[in-house]
Amino acid sequence: MERMEIKLTVNGRNHTLSVRPDRTLLEILREELNLIGTKKGCDDSNCGVCTVLMDGLAVKSCTILIPQANGHSITTIEGLEKEESLHPLQQSFIDHFAVQCGFCTPGMILTAKAILDENPTATEEDIREGLHGNICRCIGYKKVVESIEAVRDGKYKESCGEV
Amino acid sequence: MRFDKYFEPTTVEECCSILKEYGSDAKILAGGTDVVPRLKNKIWRPKAVVGISKLPDIDTIAVQKDHLVLGAGARLRKISLEKSLEKDYKVIMEAAGNVSSMQIRNIATIGGNACNASPSADAIQGLITMDAIAVITGPEGTREVAIADFFTGPGTTVLNTGEFLLQFKVPAPKPGTGAIYKKFAIRGDTDISIVGVGCRLTLQIDGTIEDARISLAAVAPKPIRAIEAEMLLIGKKLTTELIEQVGEAAANSCSPITDQRATAEYRKEMIRVWTRHAVEEAELRAKSS
Repeated sequence: MERMEIKLTVNGRNHTLSVRPDRTLLEILREELNLIGTKKGCDDSNCGVCTVLMDGLAVKSCTILIPQANGHSITTIEGLEKEESLHPLQQSFIDHFAVQCGFCTPGMILTAKAILDENPTATEEDIREGLHGNICRCIGYKKVVESIEAVRDGKYKESCGEV
Repeated sequence: MRFDKYFEPTTVEECCSILKEYGSDAKILAGGTDVVPRLKNKIWRPKAVVGISKLPDIDTIAVQKDHLVLGAGARLRKISLEKSLEKDYKVIMEAAGNVSSMQIRNIATIGGNACNASPSADAIQGLITMDAIAVITGPEGTREVAIADFFTGPGTTVLNTGEFLLQFKVPAPKPGTGAIYKKFAIRGDTDISIVGVGCRLTLQIDGTIEDARISLAAVAPKPIRAIEAEMLLIGKKLTTELIEQVGEAAANSCSPITDQRATAEYRKEMIRVWTRHAVEEAELRAKSS
């Protein structure tokens, strides 16, 4: 099997990798770049824990072949925090107790970012619709939605930079 | 998951020659949301995977004077949010927007949804409702197939080895046309449809139905049209009684199976109910168009 040259920008850093094309974006993030904040759950694109942003759009990295990500810009949960300061969504999830076991949280937060980036005035319904692809089996969704609404309402803007 | 070669052709000719060389050992990858799980689960073991995203204009969404062009690689989410489709092709937006989650729609394509040929696929229901034409290319040249004839069974299409889907052409609807796609599933979009019903009605000025399409998802080995129900509608004005008859005819035209989502009997019953809803709402849209 031939290796392929893959260029990726991950959290603002450029990487050139020589990898086999039959690996997924999730595997490359976790195993080659050691960005283990992105989780592997069902590995079948159902649960949403592997969600990352590709050129700003939320995608499930377990079902993307690495050549499909070639030349694209990826944001993982590690890319949200700036200079020791958590991203507003991260802080809001903590403040609203929207985390229990935490396994779904990175995917939830990145999906939430995609929702608000696209529609800063997203209603509760829009938020819930956007979160359809992210499954949580312990804390549930109510606190997650409240956390996102708090950021939407501007409660975190000053302390934590832009959404 | 293991394959020997990954290709990313930049011209249709190059793509054809790769497909010719590898024959049935090649798999086309558009968005990959159906292909990649199958590769991972070793349901498919191709030698070569051919990514088509670099083909020219493969992700086109272009409203032209008398038709809409949808490239096979047009992303479902882009279609579902494309404002220029709202006037004439709303049903195509709706059907595409009903597929799975935002993350999947961001990457999945209209061509992939068609070529995967799942009987429950939502996005292709919009195409069937609007009489889309599939443009297929291959070693013998390019040919066009009506979308209703594109599917041959669960997971199978008219595509021959070496051929691939290039785009869909959707004729612009006549004035007085309204169309809608209704999906019935337990967990909303994310879930696979229990049933889905698409309906397009073209009304004359006095309200008489000039043309009708009813398409059904998840109730036969492939996406189907309820032709008897369509025939009942044509030439008549919509009444409560007629809507009942049409629902009945649609239910009689399908042959669902029982699976973990619903029983065959329930699916038939739901086709009756959702066909009624779809017809009523298509008429409202036709009247306001």
